[in-house]
Amino acid sequence: MIEVTVFYYLVLSVIIFSIGAYGMLSSKNGVRLLMSIEIMLNAVNINLVAFSSFQGNLTGQVFAAFTIAIAAAEATIGLAILLALYRSFGTVNLRKISKMRW
Amino acid sequence: MIVEYAWIIPLLPAIAFLLIVLFGKGRKEGGGYIAVSLIGTSMILSLLTIAEVVLTGKGYESTGINWLGIKGFQFGLLVDQLSSIMLFVVSVIGFVIIVYSLGYMKGDHDVQRYYAEMSLFIASMLALVISSNLVLFFIAWEFVGLSSYLLIGFWYRKPSAASAAKKAFLVTRVGDIMLLAGIIILYINLGTVNIRELFVLAPHANVGMLTLATLLIFGGAVGKSSQFPLHVWLPDAMEGPTTVSALIHAATMVTAGIFLVARVYPLFTPESLMVVAWIGGITALMAAAMAVVMTDIKRVIAYSTISHLGFMTVALGVGGYFAGIFHLFNHSFFKALLFLCAGAVIHATHTQDIHDMGGLWKKMPITGTAFFIGAWSLSGFPPWSGFWSKDVILDNVYAYNHVLFAITAGAVILSAVYIFRLFIIVFMGKEGKATKHAHEMSRVMTTPLIALSIGALFSGFLVFFGLKSFLMKSLPGNLVGALDKASAISAGTHEYITYFSISLVAIGIITVWAVYSLKIVEARSIRHTLSPIHTILINKFYIDHIYLFISKKIIWNISVIVNYIDEYFVDGTVNGIGKLSIAFGRKLRKLQTGVVQDYAAWVLFGTGIILIIFKAKGGMI
Repeated sequence: MIEVTVFYYLVLSVIIFSIGAYGMLSSKNGVRLLMSIEIMLNAVNINLVAFSSFQGNLTGQVFAAFTIAIAAAEATIGLAILLALYRSFGTVNLRKISKMRW
Repeated sequence: MIVEYAWIIPLLPAIAFLLIVLFGKGRKEGGGYIAVSLIGTSMILSLLTIAEVVLTGKGYESTGINWLGIKGFQFGLLVDQLSSIMLFVVSVIGFVIIVYSLGYMKGDHDVQRYYAEMSLFIASMLALVISSNLVLFFIAWEFVGLSSYLLIGFWYRKPSAASAAKKAFLVTRVGDIMLLAGIIILYINLGTVNIRELFVLAPHANVGMLTLATLLIFGGAVGKSSQFPLHVWLPDAMEGPTTVSALIHAATMVTAGIFLVARVYPLFTPESLMVVAWIGGITALMAAAMAVVMTDIKRVIAYSTISHLGFMTVALGVGGYFAGIFHLFNHSFFKALLFLCAGAVIHATHTQDIHDMGGLWKKMPITGTAFFIGAWSLSGFPPWSGFWSKDVILDNVYAYNHVLFAITAGAVILSAVYIFRLFIIVFMGKEGKATKHAHEMSRVMTTPLIALSIGALFSGFLVFFGLKSFLMKSLPGNLVGALDKASAISAGTHEYITYFSISLVAIGIITVWAVYSLKIVEARSIRHTLSPIHTILINKFYIDHIYLFISKKIIWNISVIVNYIDEYFVDGTVNGIGKLSIAFGRKLRKLQTGVVQDYAAWVLFGTGIILIIFKAKGGMI
């Protein structure tokens, strides 16, 4: 049986983070962007919990709990902004919402 | 008692200036009565001041007002013997001229401006005379320059008047800069600009520094008192009204330079005094020679003023402190008189060319007599005022240097020649074409002439009433001793010099009489024989030409080059930098796409770079 080290968790975290980053940069839909950010945050959470568990230190887990709470708040605000954008532009396509430019 | 309130003396004409500017409009005489009454009051105060200084025998210096809290910059009063004499001269002559103006300027379209500027002129000169430190002095000095500019260009619609005003301003400016530099040098080295404090510090100061500073200060006097080589503005300044010329020549403007030299006299070193003496001598002779050939009545008198200022300068330069101021004092009276007479003549004949005049004595007896008195006094023939001061000057110059004495004596002969030439051509002989309708002036114009005539006749006699010992009190004691010693050498030759100078003047007068009145020799034939000299003189020694050459050819070309450098090099650099940043910004702004994911990409990119650096440095930032 393979011994599960912290390295595996880190690889998993990198993969999930990359998926999230790709989604954030490439998606046209604002909702998908928010979802991608959530994925990235969870990748970070995995990191924190993994380190915490392998070092026998609870601080990392506490931080993960904080991150979840703050991610919820962030999602709320993000969705509210998106709603406001939808009301004024009639779309959530981020490529079309580009008035603030040169 | 009254001396402590001497600051009111310049204040009154300044108030007159403001009143006339604000309320003069609409009054028929344009505020002339305001000027006359306030300047008259200030004259009475000046007379009381000098009376008190004479009676108590000592001057007064106020502690002064701190200015900007700078050490040594106390603006205060200094009323000593010298300044009280100047107060007397300036206010009396100024008052007489203002009264005369009531008649002379009547009917001019812009008299309000005239009286306002005249009041400002007199106010600034009075302030200059009683200031106790060189900075306040300089401020007043510049005000004098400003008001002279305004008055010379009074008829500014005439191009010649406008350019004469500009010329006067620019030429005196050369001197002003030198004066300012001199004051700055004194302040840096001695730490004060208070005149009395400078006197105390000067004997212990570096001689080279003092020589430089005093020469620069004398440069200011050269500009203002129109000494060679900055004398060119004064003849052109005749473009203003004649009363302005009288004021400039007798009381307010040109005497400021002489007064400046006298004021800081203890600072002068023997070396700088030598320069003063020679400049004065050269000016006296050159200007007198030019005065002989001029045909414009005012220009003759103008060159005569330059020549007499040269006498004063040479007197100061050779150590004749008293002689210089005494001549200034006498000169003020007879020169103001001559100018006012010339004004009356111009007013009556409507021309300034002396060859159009002639035989005016019969038409204008009072003016003629007054002019004769002025001419007599100026020529230095005894017993009237010009004789006494000229005598002391020649005495002092003889003790100093014999070549300089010869130059000064030459100027004395020429003085007699030009002034009697003027008198004979204008007032004697046949009637000229402009004489026919001439008539005597009104009472308001002849009364000042009579008053000044009395001054021109008798002011010289003050020498018998202790004027010298009075004036000498304004110098520090040790200097008085040194000056007395220098003049004691000349005591043995004194009488011979007096006889010599009288005979010089007599020769001059007789020559003129023979040529212009008896016509033993035709003036034209003399001119013909001496035509090269005549050409040089009529072209004013080509000094104006030299200045024009310098300014038009040399300075103009330098300016063109400098302008080119400024336009293409300096401006080019500045504009180039501006253009570069605009172009760069135009490219850079494309980053601002407005798409939120692009920004996120940049953030990721930046974070990545930071991480790479972090790794490369081995985990340390």
